[in-house]
Amino acid sequence: MNTPKMPKEMRILAPHSFRERLSRRAVLKAGTAAAGLAVVVAACGGDDDGGSSGGDSGGDALGAQASGDWSRVINKASGTLAMYTWGDYNDPDIVGALAEAELGATMKVDYYGSNEDLITKLASSNGNSGFDIVVPTGPYVPQMIEKGLIQKFDKSLLPNISNVDPSYLAQAWDPGNDYSVCKNWGTTGFFYDTSVITRELKNWQDFLDACMNEASGNCSMLDTGPNMCGVWFWSNGHDWNTTDPALLDECEAFLVDEFAQHVKAFDSYPSTAIAEGAYSISMAWNGDARQAYYRIQDAGGDPTAWKWVLGAPETELWMDTYCVAAGAPNPEAAHAWINWELIPEISIKDLQYHGYNTGLKSMSQLISELAPDLEYGDMIFFTDNQVSTFRTQEITPAIDRHVDILNKMKAKAGG
Amino acid sequence: MTAAVSAPDRRRWRGPKFLLAIPSIIWYLLFFAIPIAFVVIYSFGTKDVSRLLPVDLSNLTTKNYADVFDDTFFKVFRATLRIAILATALCVLIGLPVAYFVAFKVSERWRAIILAAIIVPSFTSFLIRTVAWRIPLAPNGTFSKWLTDIGVVGEQGIQLLQTQTAVQIAIVYNYLGFMILPLFVALDRIDVRMREASKDLGAGRVATFFGVTLPLAGPGIIAGVLLTFIPMCGDYVTATVLGGAKGNMIGSMVASQFSQAQNWPLGSAMAVLMIGAVLAVLIAASVIYVVIPRAIRLLDPVAQRLRAARHERSAAAVAKLGSEPARVSRVEPMRMAMSIWTVLVLVFMFIPIGLVVLHSFNGGVSFTIWTGNPSNKWWGELFDGGSTFALALRFLVIVGVFAVAKRLIAARGALPNRRLNWLGPIGFAVALVVNGLITDWFRDVFDFVSIGDAIRNSFLAAFGATVIAVILGGLSGVALARRPGTWSKIFMGTVFLILVTPEVMDAIALVTWFQRVSDVPVLGYVFREGIGPFSGGIAKLWVGQSLYASAVVTLIVRARLSGLDESLEEAAADLGATPARAFRQITLPLISSALVAGGLLSFTLCLDNAVISTLVSEAGSTTFPVALLGATKSTIKPFWGVGAVVLFIVTMAALVFVARVLRRSGESSSQIAATLAGS
Repeated sequence: MNTPKMPKEMRILAPHSFRERLSRRAVLKAGTAAAGLAVVVAACGGDDDGGSSGGDSGGDALGAQASGDWSRVINKASGTLAMYTWGDYNDPDIVGALAEAELGATMKVDYYGSNEDLITKLASSNGNSGFDIVVPTGPYVPQMIEKGLIQKFDKSLLPNISNVDPSYLAQAWDPGNDYSVCKNWGTTGFFYDTSVITRELKNWQDFLDACMNEASGNCSMLDTGPNMCGVWFWSNGHDWNTTDPALLDECEAFLVDEFAQHVKAFDSYPSTAIAEGAYSISMAWNGDARQAYYRIQDAGGDPTAWKWVLGAPETELWMDTYCVAAGAPNPEAAHAWINWELIPEISIKDLQYHGYNTGLKSMSQLISELAPDLEYGDMIFFTDNQVSTFRTQEITPAIDRHVDILNKMKAKAGG
Repeated sequence: MTAAVSAPDRRRWRGPKFLLAIPSIIWYLLFFAIPIAFVVIYSFGTKDVSRLLPVDLSNLTTKNYADVFDDTFFKVFRATLRIAILATALCVLIGLPVAYFVAFKVSERWRAIILAAIIVPSFTSFLIRTVAWRIPLAPNGTFSKWLTDIGVVGEQGIQLLQTQTAVQIAIVYNYLGFMILPLFVALDRIDVRMREASKDLGAGRVATFFGVTLPLAGPGIIAGVLLTFIPMCGDYVTATVLGGAKGNMIGSMVASQFSQAQNWPLGSAMAVLMIGAVLAVLIAASVIYVVIPRAIRLLDPVAQRLRAARHERSAAAVAKLGSEPARVSRVEPMRMAMSIWTVLVLVFMFIPIGLVVLHSFNGGVSFTIWTGNPSNKWWGELFDGGSTFALALRFLVIVGVFAVAKRLIAARGALPNRRLNWLGPIGFAVALVVNGLITDWFRDVFDFVSIGDAIRNSFLAAFGATVIAVILGGLSGVALARRPGTWSKIFMGTVFLILVTPEVMDAIALVTWFQRVSDVPVLGYVFREGIGPFSGGIAKLWVGQSLYASAVVTLIVRARLSGLDESLEEAAADLGATPARAFRQITLPLISSALVAGGLLSFTLCLDNAVISTLVSEAGSTTFPVALLGATKSTIKPFWGVGAVVLFIVTMAALVFVARVLRRSGESSSQIAATLAGS
């Protein structure tokens, strides 16, 4: 670290109390402590430092600091910070010891399984749920604003929002980013065992076909109605947000009467079951499919036999967002944490954990500088051509129909 | 009855017959009947996501019921019934020999040990045990590879994961204990003389079993069937974790309407129909239960003739051989077979627990996938090494000091033994309190704070809910057994409804109810601000978990009392005891074992409650099953196994503590064994 300004800011950002905390808890876990310190050092670097890339500042990728113009403001917080999010969705350090060390807030994380569960929980507690940060998927944001379940950001506390790629800001559900900011986004494709399905599969049509032939009785689908129906719409060149009853009927006729009997499971996180050997083809979100490679390796299988294919000709783009819950007991800490998470080094550390694109600008440069060893990058980052085929979901009355179709499929598959 | 008329001066029960049940009646009205009524009303509404609660009640319609009444619902319901009926039957078939063996064939000491071994597995988290079944069932797993190697299964490995068979295995596993215990209790109650009389009258082993033992065990079988079949019908966690598409169950279909479609009206309609369907099945079963014995009785003359023939034959055999030795020689292989069977069942019950412990030392990232290199990294991940060590040390020192003190005092004979025996539990309690005062130990010991908090919350919630359940269930059980009347039919109906209502419906009912009462004085305050040191979220969990638990306690207490006649209480009243005194000195001791048994059962159920708790809990009141259920939506890390093991150890420590205190207060170990089993 050859930043001239560093010592002065070090004093500000790593005060006495912080060092104490380090000695108390983190020294027992030397690895974490070192990483934590390194990030603070990195985060303090001056904006105008064009300096060297990660390689020569020590082996740990986190020790490196991204070059270029980044905002790295860290606001201190205190007390407890409660987060309500999807399972295993952040690096445990970032929602644990590291956050406590750098921000001063103790984190407490709970998990939900669907956006609707989140909404029910918040709506039924009159702003008394005790959660500070919640992580709804983009299209659910308007509903949550309308119901008063999330509160407006204090943007002055979120200066690091300038680190986010503008193409992932100002989404249709919250054009001003007044309530939400991108946590990460992902897409949908499929993952298959080339030793079982020997032909090359290229698109959703091939996927459906393989499920009904070679992989019949051995395939898994995402356990959400819209995604399940989406496959049929995408493969047939329709808009997956359509509310046209005729198209929905056609979709139902195929999925329920012809397709369902071949499905082994409706599983939204198939990576573990894939490694256990339960499926030979799975519809999956990109991050989970990427995890599957590691799980297969853990289980002593052969990861090279498995292939990831992005859904085509069209597929989904979903984005999960950070919001501050209405009635949050500790909104300052919530803002401080979200802002901290938008610092490139933290964001990339998180990205390496969950395998989804966190949507910062100059992403490819960030990765080459901060995480040069990142594997399976093509499952996290997509070309502009690919991104142009991504479609976001809209909340329409058709969702009921989607769930109904999924239920009928389940009944049929179980029969 | 005649005594009641002939004693005019006796201090008679005053006030309504249901006096003792009043707390339960208020509780059920407040937290079951009224909230559920709202959900039933929802079933006539329409979905409207723009509202805070997504139901529009402005124009009521029966359309939702028409929507439910299609092929899908009944198809899934049929599949659920098939799984539940088969699993219940398997539980009876597997459990009956074990219960029979434990009740009649082993010494008192072994009886206690085997019963404890049957109960212990249920104190490990239900969810983690279910997840653990994935390990032996995985086609790429060690077990499967071994089976392939020895040629039992083909190249593909065992193809059970994500099938109905997997669900079937796990469901039988999960509910077997709840079947064996009532069966044992019923068999244990049978007067041995009845069986002896049957044999003396010349009935053979088989005839005695079917003619005497089985009919007398009938109530136990019914209790077991109810305790297993009903929750199986609503269960969907097992199916979600193991079942795949083939193991889909009705409970998950109802839940998906609430949690995926936000279609509360349709979900409510489904839940109402599901309750109706389950009740219909139970009624049909009870009709069969009444009709079949009558039908069999029609065959009585035939049976008589057969019996007479067999009698002659066995009499002839006795005359030839001299009776006893012949019988003994036939007994032994039977006994042998039953003991082997019991051992096998116990092994079956402990397989997942062994796997949970083993996999908590898994070096990999996923709990179920064994990487081949054991590691204690997840234990290290979970615990703050220094604090854990300090805590354990403090604990040992304090308990050690008390142990030494006990020795010294005993050597001097300064205290009577009865007092002396209290020192152990007191030392234990002091160690707990001291540790609690010095540090916020759940927080300091656990590096991954969430799990530490979850374990603490699980205890607070389950303990409080159990206390509520025991008080409510005990009082209403007494009232039902001793003061039956019209009210008791309505009350029992409510208890049954509580047992049959799918959890997700209770959850929605309560969650919306808490919102509605948040402005009501007192009630709203309790659920918002909490009581004393307990947060509002914990108070909500108490309510949510106590419903089912108190219904179970009610049934157990009622069953216990209705087996005993009222003469003792009447005698007490004749001798001038006030109703309160008679209750305290006669009734309470009579039902104490049922209360302990009900309490233990409640505690297990509450500790494992996931569905209601998930919706009801708040930030800061998340329990272990809630946290784990959330984690099952993605990769389950091995530290959940660590957490489950810790939870199990703490639970067992608490139970041993309770058992010791009970023993100190005068109950014998055999009594405790019996109460553990609910007799």
